[in-house]
Amino acid sequence: MELAPPALYPRSVLRPLASGRSPTPGLFLGLIITLAAVVAYSWYITVQISGLRELQNGLAGRNRKDSLQLLRIQNDLNSLALAMRDMLDNDEPYPLTAWSAQFERIRADLDDALKLEEQVAVAERTPEQREFLSNSIAQFWDAVDRTFALARDREQNDARTQIRVSLQARQAALSTAVARLLVQNNESEEQVALRIGRIYDRVQKQVYIFFTAILIAILLTSLYLIQSNRRLFAQLAALSEQRSELAQKLISTQESTLLHISRELHDEFGQILTAIGSMLSRARNHVPEDSPLRAELREVSEIAQSTLDKVRSLSQALHPVMLDEAGLESTIDWYIPTVERQTGIEISYVKSGTPFPVNGSVGVHIYRILQEALNNLARHSGSRQAWVRLRFMPESLELEVEDHGTGFVEGTARSGIGLVAMRERAELLGGIIEFLKPAEGGTLVRLRVPIEKTEPHVQ
Amino acid sequence: MNRRSFLRGLAGAASASVLPLELFAGAAPEISSPGFKLVDVTRSAGIQFQHNSGAYGGKLLPETLGSGCAFLDYDRDGWQDILLVNGMDWPGHKRQTSTLQLYRNNRDGTFTDVTRKAGLDVEMYGMGVAVGDYNNDGFPDILITCVGQNRLFKNTGKGTFTDVTNSSGLGKRQAMSTSALWFDFDRDGRLDLFVCNYVKWSPEHDVFCSLDGKHKSYCTPEAYRGETCWLFHNRGDGTFEDVTATSGIFDSSSKSLGVAILDYDQDGWPDLLVANDTQPNKLYRNAHNGTFKDVAVEAGIAFSVDGKARAGMGVDAADFDNSGTAGVAITNFDNEMIGLYRALGNGTYEDIATQAGVGLPSKSTLGFGCMFLDANLDGMLDLLAANGHIDDTVRNIRGNIGYAQPPQLFLNTGKRTFRDVTSEVGDAFGQPKVGRGLAYGDFDRDGDLDILMTTNNGPAYLYRNDQLAGNRSIRFHLVGKQSNRDAIDATVRIYYEGTTQSRTVKSGSSYLSQSELPVTFGLGKRDEIERVVIQWPNGRTEEYKKLAAGRVYDCVESAGITPGAGF
Repeated sequence: MELAPPALYPRSVLRPLASGRSPTPGLFLGLIITLAAVVAYSWYITVQISGLRELQNGLAGRNRKDSLQLLRIQNDLNSLALAMRDMLDNDEPYPLTAWSAQFERIRADLDDALKLEEQVAVAERTPEQREFLSNSIAQFWDAVDRTFALARDREQNDARTQIRVSLQARQAALSTAVARLLVQNNESEEQVALRIGRIYDRVQKQVYIFFTAILIAILLTSLYLIQSNRRLFAQLAALSEQRSELAQKLISTQESTLLHISRELHDEFGQILTAIGSMLSRARNHVPEDSPLRAELREVSEIAQSTLDKVRSLSQALHPVMLDEAGLESTIDWYIPTVERQTGIEISYVKSGTPFPVNGSVGVHIYRILQEALNNLARHSGSRQAWVRLRFMPESLELEVEDHGTGFVEGTARSGIGLVAMRERAELLGGIIEFLKPAEGGTLVRLRVPIEKTEPHVQ
Repeated sequence: MNRRSFLRGLAGAASASVLPLELFAGAAPEISSPGFKLVDVTRSAGIQFQHNSGAYGGKLLPETLGSGCAFLDYDRDGWQDILLVNGMDWPGHKRQTSTLQLYRNNRDGTFTDVTRKAGLDVEMYGMGVAVGDYNNDGFPDILITCVGQNRLFKNTGKGTFTDVTNSSGLGKRQAMSTSALWFDFDRDGRLDLFVCNYVKWSPEHDVFCSLDGKHKSYCTPEAYRGETCWLFHNRGDGTFEDVTATSGIFDSSSKSLGVAILDYDQDGWPDLLVANDTQPNKLYRNAHNGTFKDVAVEAGIAFSVDGKARAGMGVDAADFDNSGTAGVAITNFDNEMIGLYRALGNGTYEDIATQAGVGLPSKSTLGFGCMFLDANLDGMLDLLAANGHIDDTVRNIRGNIGYAQPPQLFLNTGKRTFRDVTSEVGDAFGQPKVGRGLAYGDFDRDGDLDILMTTNNGPAYLYRNDQLAGNRSIRFHLVGKQSNRDAIDATVRIYYEGTTQSRTVKSGSSYLSQSELPVTFGLGKRDEIERVVIQWPNGRTEEYKKLAAGRVYDCVESAGITPGAGF
């Protein structure tokens, strides 16, 4: 299974943020305000649109329909005028009654148009205006009927006179009245257009305000988010620093404690056990050769010697004295065969470059990293072969531990802590530790420590 | 892709390959060829006519309008003869003599000019023609509408005509008459006369119109006052009484060009549809008491669908959807489309030109003559229109519209749609012309309808219809006894396989022209019809059963039916 190294090796352990510093409430409030603004604006726009619709349907549309009907009436009045002109011209071989069908057709259309016009007439029209039109038309048709009655009575000349003095004048008056209504409609339409224009202006202004408010809200929210992020990152950095410091202190304390115990074991208990051994040897010499006590003393002396060996071994394990006495290189030279012996893993150990002395306090961290890497390898990789490379490079000291086993398995707390410790030790050294995956599989742990950090005078 | 369109595609592929087309013939019948050709036989038939509009540069209004034509059997020999109306030179600009021309059918596909022999070599500014036996003597008489005095020529029955204009009471009437028709509006058995008049115009009162402010151009009708149509009642003694005023026809605002007879309200009484130029069309409903009432507005036929009075020219009415009720076609000015009205059955009409596929193709044409005819004899009436502009400089002003325009033949698909097949029925037919009059008639007696077309200031054309698909027809020649002898306004309905077709014997229709009086039904491949019902103009009906296709039947009112040997 291929695993991404960053997920496997967390760089730090985060402490949860204090709930009082979370930006969520602020963002939530901003969201509510924004939503409220959108709802309020939508409501405003809806109200304005319905107002516009009402204006257009109720006034402008109605006005237009009314004008169409008025034009139809005007057209009928013009047809009447033309018919009356033809009647007066007297160039047809027909009596005036011949025009009665034509008048009836126009009358039917005029009545229909007037009916429709009354339904769509604008509200501003006064009752007097309404009455004037209908009364005038009624009077006109009354005069028409009387004219045709004269014509039917063969009073052609009287009928023509009637047309000339009455019908044409009434038709002209009607035409003027309709024209006036059309003008009124036009004026009314202009007023409606003005009102519509004002509504558009108002809505446009409100749209600008709304967008400005939204922009300000977005700006403030962004600023707030930036500030919160900055604060969060600062907190995270401080926490990481603290955690690193703490880990390093722990490691240092652990190392000094182990060093102290190791020395105590080596120096104090070692000398005591050595003294006990010497005293037992001397006491045995004072006992006769055939005395059973002599055999018992030898047995106790051997137990003391065994204990001394174990104490020395433990002391070495807690802190290899060799590191202080012979240096890192020799310690690793000694340690690799020891691991081979203890674990049965075949380790190819290669050194390269010109060796240089390594500060003891630095060496112990490098040694511990090697120790942890080989421990992990032995426990988790399943590989029976490993490669350790120690490179003394001009700029740095590089240590590599490689196996072609199963690779790291994400999981155990123990290995996790060990890896954290390896990383912290690398940081303590000012070096870089990498956990890589070789082409053949398994794990490659590479530690690189700058040469200046390894120098003996550096603490 | 559904199964039908797949098969259609397959048929298309087959036609382009070596596969026999017959294999797929059943898959796509609707995209087959029209099934007939219109062959120009003008020259071979001996028709040599040149219309004289009298144009000399004065741009006088009547020059743009003429003239009409007619199929008629003037000598009653059973063969359709041809009459062509002509104009003449204007006074003061005399260059030639031009008269109308009568061509007698030689029964062999050719015609002989018998104008002089018939006594019709009379000069007049003729416009239209209406043929009807007004005196019921068995021989068709001729009314020529004119600019000035109309002329009525009585058929003597001896191959000649006598001008009876004055003695008939039609004299001393000066107008600019256009289309006319004979019909018996009071059902007294005598043909009455309806005459359309255009505008109040005379050479002395010609109005100066100009497109560029300098040169005179032809005026539009708005420049002139309207003129009422005329209705003359046949007294039965050879004279006519002007009943224009008393019948309710009088309308001084009309500018009428075309008229058709139809039974709009299905009451058996003839109504009239008048196409007006820039004025609302008129639908005169017969009130059975000698009067008419205009119901065009209520019927939805006065205006275009957007409420505009169009420039109506020619008109025809026929049962084009085999619904039993006549629909209407009206040709209009360019950019106005043909009006194709379907009767909704409740006294109203719906303009279906656009949905039917007639509107868009006719938008850039100026139509004059128009008529429904079953050109391919498939049992569905097709629509033919003669087109041509009035302004010979129109191309300079409106690039996409020419002075000469191709006629348009719309084939009825039977699904309330039409297909323009002009380019498929003959190269000569589809050539642009300044078309005006249009009439049909079976001059070669082969059972299909041939076409006669006149052009303005140009020749007349005779197109012979040659059926290619083997479709058959049945024809009826009606002779009235109690009804008018021509049986004008009689309705013939045939029934077969659940289908009903109907035709009306009619005078007038189209533009300035008249088609033959016998009615023709296309039957496709059928050999007979189940029955025929004839409704005579006086309301009586007669029914005959099991009639064979492929022949003409002479039907005499109350006397039975006689099959001819052929057509």
